[in-house]
Amino acid sequence: MWLQIYYIFCYIIFGYSMAIMAGYLYFILQSYRAQHKLSIDMPDDETIKYLMKGSPLTPAVSIIAPAYNEEVTIIDNVHSLMQIDYPDYEIIIINDASSDRTLELLIENFEMVEVPYDVAMRVPSKPIKRVLKSTNPAYSKLVVVDKERGGRKSDGSNAGINVCSNKYFVCTDVDCIVEPMALYRMMWLVVNSHVPTIGVSATMLMSNGCVVGDGRVVEAKVPKRILPMFQQLEYMRSFLIGKLGWSTINALPNISGGFGLFDTDVVVKSGGYDNTSMAEDVDMLLRMVTYMKNSGQPFRIAQVPKVCCWTEGPPTLKALYRQRVRWARGLFEIMSNHRKLILNPHYGPIGAFTLPYIFLFEFMAPMLELFGYLFMIWLLFVGGINWGTAFIIFGMVYLFSVLMAFFLLYFDYSTEAVNWHNREHSYLHLLVAACLEPIIYHPLISYCSNVGYFQYITKTTAVWKPIQRQGVKKKTS
Amino acid sequence: MDSMSVISYYFRLIVTYATYYLTYYHDLFVEYPFEVQTAVWAQQWALIMMLMIVVLLARKHKQRRQVRHARKKLQKLFGDAVQQVFNTDDRMMTREEIVKLFKITEKEANRRELLKNNMERREMCYYIYDSLIHDEVASPTKHGNIHLLMEIFNLPSFLETEVSVGSMRNKVVAMDMIRSFKLYISPWVINKLLNSKQVRVRRLAMYASVMSSSDSELEYFETDFFDENCCIFDEIELGYTLHRRRAAGLKLPNLAHWAHFQKNDNTKCMFVRLMRRFDQREYCEQLRSLFLESKHKKLIEEISRTWGYLHYTDGEQLLVNTMLTQPDDTKVAIMHAVTRMASGQNLELLLDGYQNTTNPHVRFEALRCMWSYGDEGRRMLNKLEAEAEPADLKFFAFFHNPITLEKIPLDKEQAYHPSVETVYAMSY
Repeated sequence: MWLQIYYIFCYIIFGYSMAIMAGYLYFILQSYRAQHKLSIDMPDDETIKYLMKGSPLTPAVSIIAPAYNEEVTIIDNVHSLMQIDYPDYEIIIINDASSDRTLELLIENFEMVEVPYDVAMRVPSKPIKRVLKSTNPAYSKLVVVDKERGGRKSDGSNAGINVCSNKYFVCTDVDCIVEPMALYRMMWLVVNSHVPTIGVSATMLMSNGCVVGDGRVVEAKVPKRILPMFQQLEYMRSFLIGKLGWSTINALPNISGGFGLFDTDVVVKSGGYDNTSMAEDVDMLLRMVTYMKNSGQPFRIAQVPKVCCWTEGPPTLKALYRQRVRWARGLFEIMSNHRKLILNPHYGPIGAFTLPYIFLFEFMAPMLELFGYLFMIWLLFVGGINWGTAFIIFGMVYLFSVLMAFFLLYFDYSTEAVNWHNREHSYLHLLVAACLEPIIYHPLISYCSNVGYFQYITKTTAVWKPIQRQGVKKKTS
Repeated sequence: MDSMSVISYYFRLIVTYATYYLTYYHDLFVEYPFEVQTAVWAQQWALIMMLMIVVLLARKHKQRRQVRHARKKLQKLFGDAVQQVFNTDDRMMTREEIVKLFKITEKEANRRELLKNNMERREMCYYIYDSLIHDEVASPTKHGNIHLLMEIFNLPSFLETEVSVGSMRNKVVAMDMIRSFKLYISPWVINKLLNSKQVRVRRLAMYASVMSSSDSELEYFETDFFDENCCIFDEIELGYTLHRRRAAGLKLPNLAHWAHFQKNDNTKCMFVRLMRRFDQREYCEQLRSLFLESKHKKLIEEISRTWGYLHYTDGEQLLVNTMLTQPDDTKVAIMHAVTRMASGQNLELLLDGYQNTTNPHVRFEALRCMWSYGDEGRRMLNKLEAEAEPADLKFFAFFHNPITLEKIPLDKEQAYHPSVETVYAMSY
């Protein structure tokens, strides 16, 4: 009897692993389809730029970047944002009551003065004290918002949404390095759509290891340290295969808080960012989808297959642990707050496919893995492991994981998603990372996720600490 | 043995050995349970796919190297000469002149084999295209010189071949180039693409046709947009195509007629907007029936704006008469139109616009129009400010601050004014 239960359990787990692999294969096929379609539909960067720059129809965009105690980098970062190539955009920097000289530096460097803005609170945020604009026409794109301390990025973003005057806004972190063509690439997906595009997710990679000059990445390189290298691979896989795959069936579940474009009106009507949420970006997107579906409007959420933004990832184990624990808590929260969407066809492909997939294969997987490790230890003691079979099955999982990296590199090469400084060298590094990832990185992330779930269940207070940045190499022109 | 035989020999050898080893490896596990067999099978496929990806990557890498090499070579051989042709904007060059510039003999030019293969031809097209696309307005003379240059390299017929037998990607690129270079393309090549299932192909075929058609042929293109739901990028591209056509000295179609012919109201709006962009004042009268008959709010708004931009004063009274019955957005568009016409007769309309509404957006736009109307309008604005309630003074603050004042003129359809924008959103 127990033996039969044991066999059934083993087959269920085997079936589960095969289903995960089938899911990944599906994503590979879908992202290939998306890339093939875009290779026909999407003109090259120069043509898009030429056509959109010369047209009065190109929609204006607001870039919202909350800042808290960023006195060391704020001026460089604002200059970097000003270098974005787009005909009509404004930059809104939200000073979340910084205790350092962030605001003073902005006022001094950009000749800012207070202007009459009567801001209506469309989405909840802490009160805005004043709005500043520059007296220098060279900085006419810049708006600085001084507000009371909200404590979280979402509160700052909401204040930015209250101030922004354009139909579309991009939410980013002030320390992100944005590709000059990023807005063109994102807005092309908006203007080329026959149904309203409520959000565009941009491909975001790690800036660790890259060389930066004049506010932009001049040499895209793979991080030299192993931990950021794993994350680079993970980001590439997530954006170029996962999200691109989901976007083909209009079921993209997340637009990264690091760099994402939204329809202001839909965001306002969905209530903006939730200041109490641990995963405010996913939460807001799901509320936007709920709003659109409930009001019976067609919509689209798109993914840009080319890199648009570079961000510095956690360089140390401690920082990575904190980040991933926070993400796991966020995932648990999303699964519990938006459970009515799961397997609910009323919410379209997101309800019918994405959320059930996330629940089964992303939310449940770390718990099953933990159980698997414990089960294996028990089998080790009772001598119940058939080593030959175990190695063959492990070999299959391992080879599949490496195969994913091969597909990823092929997609990257054929679409030139990233303009690597030394492509062969970078690919070699990424392949090494892919070979080590299932053994070193994956168990670590699994562990962090389980800690996050445990903390969420036991209601341990989450303390949000900013990542200690190590900075990127700078090259002066 | 020729190279193909060598390749096929080694290919067969590799396939034979691979099949042998894979079968051997698979047979080792025939007696094993289902999960082991599945795992072995998956492993084999993973290995095969990895190998295939490596081969594909190597192939792509080789192709890219060849392209880079060809680009460098062409730039070195013909770069200066092409630039010289581009810089000759003031007169038509002769064929002999261009042939001499490229340091080739007339015989070589006649043989039309200056470029070795399709890759070089494609790269040459890209090279000329890149130079052209950065040129804001290419004059008819420049277009003529470019045509002559392309003729020497036999590029027009190459592009036509690409459109008819190339891959989908090459088709799209070739049609884009045909449109930009304003080349003639045979109707039998383009006509079948006008009905393509691929939206991008269909649209580009349409633009290429619009670009290369004669004035008399052009009027028939209205049918190609019928029942099409156009997006903003379609409008951008059509605008670009017409802009190129006008720059090349060709006549533009009657866009008001095109607007009339469409089924979709958004497509009608697109043509009305394009009329504004291409200053088709002479056809404004034709929009009158659309204005009176249409129930589409956005279309009425666009017609009002177009009349205003094009100073179609004959329509002013119609706008004034209908304004108070229109929704708020249309009211704003009519006030803008009347301000642009500035006939001096309807300043009272702006006062009505300010006083007869509770919508702060409409009120602010009315003040903005008064400010732009001229001295008379500004006097009215000052008078209103003197009499305004304290709560309304926020609207007038914008006309006193030098930073916000820069954004007040009617260059953009909407002033840079977050506060009123946001209040407007709240009022819905």
